[in-house]
Amino acid sequence: MSQHDHDPAHEHDQPHAEIGHAEKPGYYDLMETAVRELLVEKRLFGADEIRRQIEVLDSRTPALGAKVIARAWVDPEFRARLLANGRAACEELGISFYDDTQLIVLENTDTVHNLIVCTLCSCYPRPVLGLPPDWYKLKAYRSRAVSEPRAVLAEFGTNIPNDVEVRVSDSTAIVRYLVLPRRPVETDNYSEEQLAALVTRDAMIGVIPVTVEAGR
Amino acid sequence: MTETKHLLNRLPNDIGGLPADAIQRVDHELEPWEKRCHALADVLDFHKIINTEEKRRGVEALGAEMVGKLTYYERWIAAFSNILFQKGILTPSELARKMDEVAARWERDDSERTP
Repeated sequence: MSQHDHDPAHEHDQPHAEIGHAEKPGYYDLMETAVRELLVEKRLFGADEIRRQIEVLDSRTPALGAKVIARAWVDPEFRARLLANGRAACEELGISFYDDTQLIVLENTDTVHNLIVCTLCSCYPRPVLGLPPDWYKLKAYRSRAVSEPRAVLAEFGTNIPNDVEVRVSDSTAIVRYLVLPRRPVETDNYSEEQLAALVTRDAMIGVIPVTVEAGR
Repeated sequence: MTETKHLLNRLPNDIGGLPADAIQRVDHELEPWEKRCHALADVLDFHKIINTEEKRRGVEALGAEMVGKLTYYERWIAAFSNILFQKGILTPSELARKMDEVAARWERDDSERTP
């Protein structure tokens, strides 16, 4: 076997990785390559599967979630289906779930504000939002979001009035959450696409509201 | 006697509700190997070799010191290796040999790049 056959990250296959390879790969980088190549040699999966999954990961961004939110704002029946079964409603819009996770969509109202977290690790609605930001995976957010969510929200510049209930949902390996933010009031004449442009990743995590300024 | 009860009450991942510092809104673009590591995790899950919950427990089993000192994807690949050893899919010496081979290949390719 040629030593290059099963390395999807090799420079011949990925010219753009050239810069990353100019520096000697670190210990864990070597470990990742070694584990992957051994498993491919043992025919537990094909090298192309890793490459395809990287493409899938690259295709998932908060723009997908924003599309879902905008549709829910303009289509009450879709909104009802989304709240009843988040995964099925996203699949309706062509967003495939590449894993076994369920999606629960949490609606913000004038009396309830939702926030999502994963205290144990970093579970996140990846099929619709892509990979989580680092702060979502770090101790400060994971520790404090469940015990002092209003203080955490204030650090993001979000002040929730005391008469609005703050609900924190803690994700698991198989149950993921997505916040359906409130539609900004000044957006009656916005198209669905214009609405989607306002919806940010952080608003769908629940740390900030959606505002018309966000789209500018 | 040293107080050790807290070590049993809270495993390294179980930090919900503990006091912590202010949130630093940090983020970074994944390095190529980190992205490959993430794709590897997904493919291991698809093939029912290591699922998400096994991975989480594998990270926990690294112990508090490694959980504290390794970066996110360093913890993942260390956990995968251990789980693959436990399942008898890989052996430690096999992995060590392969890592040496990958490093040697890089050295050789590098000398070809910069003659």
